Amino acid sequence: MDADEAAYEAKSNRRYRSKHESEEARAARDARDRRLVRRLKQGDERAFQELVHTYQDRIFGLVYRMIGNRQEAEDIAQEVFISVHRGIANYRGEGRFYTWLYRIASNTCKNRIKYLKGRNFHRASDIDETPAAHTQGEAGPVVALQSVVPGPEATVVGDRLERAIQYEIAQLEPEHRLLIVLRDIQGLSYAEILRITGLQEGTLKSRLHRARLALKARLEPYIE
Amino acid sequence: MAADSKAELMTAYLDDALEADEAESFEKWLEDSPEAREEVESLQRILSIVRELPAVEAPPDFYEKVSKKLRRRRAGAETSVGLVSLPFQVLSIIVIMMIAATYLMLEIEREDAQIEKDPSAAEAQAAEAQEKADRDAAAASSGMN
Repeated sequence: MDADEAAYEAKSNRRYRSKHESEEARAARDARDRRLVRRLKQGDERAFQELVHTYQDRIFGLVYRMIGNRQEAEDIAQEVFISVHRGIANYRGEGRFYTWLYRIASNTCKNRIKYLKGRNFHRASDIDETPAAHTQGEAGPVVALQSVVPGPEATVVGDRLERAIQYEIAQLEPEHRLLIVLRDIQGLSYAEILRITGLQEGTLKSRLHRARLALKARLEPYIE
Repeated sequence: MAADSKAELMTAYLDDALEADEAESFEKWLEDSPEAREEVESLQRILSIVRELPAVEAPPDFYEKVSKKLRRRRAGAETSVGLVSLPFQVLSIIVIMMIAATYLMLEIEREDAQIEKDPSAAEAQAAEAQEKADRDAAAASSGMN
C-alpha cells in the first residue's frame, strides 16, 4: 500500500463511526497476515490452518449474505480458501492480504451467482416461508411487532425480520449486494472497498446509493 | 445539485464520511429539499436495521472440510495425471503394433508378387502339373487293361 492510500485510509477511518478497528489493531493484523503469507508460501500447512481460522467467519459471512443459502455459502467459502492455497505462490504481497482474499471471495461469489442463475437456482435464501407471509395478515409490519412485543416472541419476530432482510438482499443485483454487504454489514471502509472492487470513489458512492435505494424499496413493506 | 453529486454526497453523509463543513452545507440543502430529507431519513432507518444484522459464523468444522476437499483435489489431480499418461502408453504400443503389422503385410504381398513374376517358377509349376497328369493317365490305362 502506498503512502497516499494509507493517508486517505487513515483520514477516512477517522471519520467513520462504526465497526472500524484502531490503526494499531490494523497494523498488528497486517503484520500477522504478512507472517502467515510468508509461512504459507514456504509450504507450512499450519499457516494455512491459522489463516482459515482467522478469516473463515468473515468470508463465510460475506458469502452467506451474498448468496442467502447456508449450504451453498459453505461450499463457496471452502472454494475461496482452496483458491488462496493454490494461488498464494502468485500473490505478490502488494496491498493488504485480506483485500486480496476478499477480491477472490467476491469474484467467486459473482461467478457462482451467474452459474446458479443459469441453472435456475431457486433456493436463494434459507427462508422457508415467503417474505410476504411476514408482513401481511393480522400481525402487520415486522418492525412494529418487534417494538411492542417483549420477551421470546420479540426474538422470533427479530429472527423473521433478519431472514426477510437476508432474502431481500439476495434478490438485489450482485454488484449491489456486494456493496451493501461490504459497507453496511461488514463495515469495511471506502478505501478497502475500492481496493477489493477496483471501482473509482465516485462510482462506488453513486453505486452504493443506488444499492441502498433498491434495498429500501424491497424492505419498506416490512417496516412502518 | 446534479443527481450523481447528490447521490455521492448522500452516501457520504449516511456513512458519516463528510467533513464538518461539507456535512453542514449538505444539511442546509436538506432543509430546503423535503423530498431529499425524507429519502435520507428513510435510508437511515433501513441502514440502522441492516447494520444490526448479527455476524454470521462459519461452521465449527469448516477448516476440516476445506482441508479434506484440498486433499481430495490433490489426490484427484495425481490420479488424473496417471490416467492421462496411461492412454499415451497404450497408444504408443498400438501404433508400434500397427506399423509392424503393416510392414509384415507389405512384405507378404511383395513375396507373392515376386513369385507371380518369376517365369522359371511358373515353368516348374507347369512341368510338375504335367507330370502329375501323366501319372494319373498311366494309372488309369493300366487299370483298364
